[in-house]
Amino acid sequence: LGGHPRLNTPWRRSSFRGRRIRSDVVVVAAAPDRLSDKVEESIKNAQETCADDPVSGECAAAWDEVEELSAAAGHAREKKLEADPLENYCKDNPEVDECRTYDN
Amino acid sequence: KQFLFHSSSPRKPASLAVLPRRIITSCSAEDKTVVIGLAADSGCGKSTFMRRLTSVFGGAAEPPRGGNPDSNTLVSDTTTVICLDDYHSLDRTGRKEKGVTALDPRANNFDLMYEQVKALKDGVAVDKPIYNHVSGLLDPPELIKPPKILVIEGLHPMFDSRVRDLLDFSIYLDISNEVKFAWKIQRDMAERGHSLESIKASIEARKPDFDAYIDPQKQYADAVIEVLPTQLIPDDNEGRVLRVRLIMKEGVKYFSPVYLFDEGSTISWIPCGRKLTCSYPGIKFGYGPDTYFDNEVSVLEMDGQFDRLDELIYVESHLSNISTKFYGEVTQQMLKHSDFPGSNNGTGLFQTIVGLKIRDLYEQISASRASAAQLEA
Repeated sequence: LGGHPRLNTPWRRSSFRGRRIRSDVVVVAAAPDRLSDKVEESIKNAQETCADDPVSGECAAAWDEVEELSAAAGHAREKKLEADPLENYCKDNPEVDECRTYDN
Repeated sequence: KQFLFHSSSPRKPASLAVLPRRIITSCSAEDKTVVIGLAADSGCGKSTFMRRLTSVFGGAAEPPRGGNPDSNTLVSDTTTVICLDDYHSLDRTGRKEKGVTALDPRANNFDLMYEQVKALKDGVAVDKPIYNHVSGLLDPPELIKPPKILVIEGLHPMFDSRVRDLLDFSIYLDISNEVKFAWKIQRDMAERGHSLESIKASIEARKPDFDAYIDPQKQYADAVIEVLPTQLIPDDNEGRVLRVRLIMKEGVKYFSPVYLFDEGSTISWIPCGRKLTCSYPGIKFGYGPDTYFDNEVSVLEMDGQFDRLDELIYVESHLSNISTKFYGEVTQQMLKHSDFPGSNNGTGLFQTIVGLKIRDLYEQISASRASAAQLEA
């Protein structure tokens, strides 16, 4: 999914001519493990921030970040679960025996 | 550092963001976009609702092809769903520095939200920013073309009165604290680093902003789906069996509330008996008129969960005004997505019914515009 050429994003081409077009975005999207690390890190960070002042805006913002990352991780996990290995394979190889389907 | 053209000064965002080159002016009034607002907190089932809604209109909703893999937008033949997080004015670092949450209006650009939703409603394509939930950054914008139905979902669809006035219909998903906690445990406990304490702390820390900025929006909603702990099992706190209430505003144009048996009466109904066998804890329905924030409303309630399909078709046959096109359509829609969360209880049932009501509303609006256009001609 991450490997598609970005046909709809001409603004990227103009500002990043040449190699490595914001590769970080693509890598992160394909690696839910890194999200897990981020969630863990954000929880630690929130606990530290709130140790000083539990009712500050900084504390609320830190826990809000935890929520945002947890939601993103949850969505990523769901997507991964949904993906059927055969369906995925057939997307790329519709012509092989186990993928061919005729309407009638 | 890259230049993001949507994060320009708040004084002149619109003129830049609305693309003049792409003006797809509607030659007649009938193909104007119908705008639906869906408000709910993070992790409260917005995405499930959206999938049920787009399924009612047929065709699968998918992220824009070939664009940013982290785009929050979903596009189908009729419907485009945009996530209002894309209108964050502060990215994750920005909010941290200022000490504000994403729930805070100061972290959101309502001017741009209004300008772009209005442009789309008027049939003009826009370049909408993308808030990347993985990186926490505002990514370069994506082109959104005016769809037949535009759904704006997120934390603040009814917060700004200008945006609110653009909505043809609005829904608020109201999840009680007990259920929210239970759901987040289900979602987060598998995640490394999370514990009961951290989940609780996160909900608690966000609660003041939630109560101040998100919750008050429900008074403006045309339909509210309330999700509460069951009353069928004493002291239940698992959040698996739910009592769900669909609160429907009376007198909304193109929207006539669903009713059970007799419109306007107050009814309590237990469908289990000789005609229907239910397993523990059974199913209980309620229906009746009520007031909600000084508005006259009709409330339909379901407590408990379905075990089998025949229960659902039996229930569907006793509901009126559900805007189905054929007998059993609600049941069929629920069956089609039996793997979605909430398919065996009131959340799935009422989300499906609201989806059908929105289809009905859309068809009525289109029909009235078409006849108005005919009169003009």
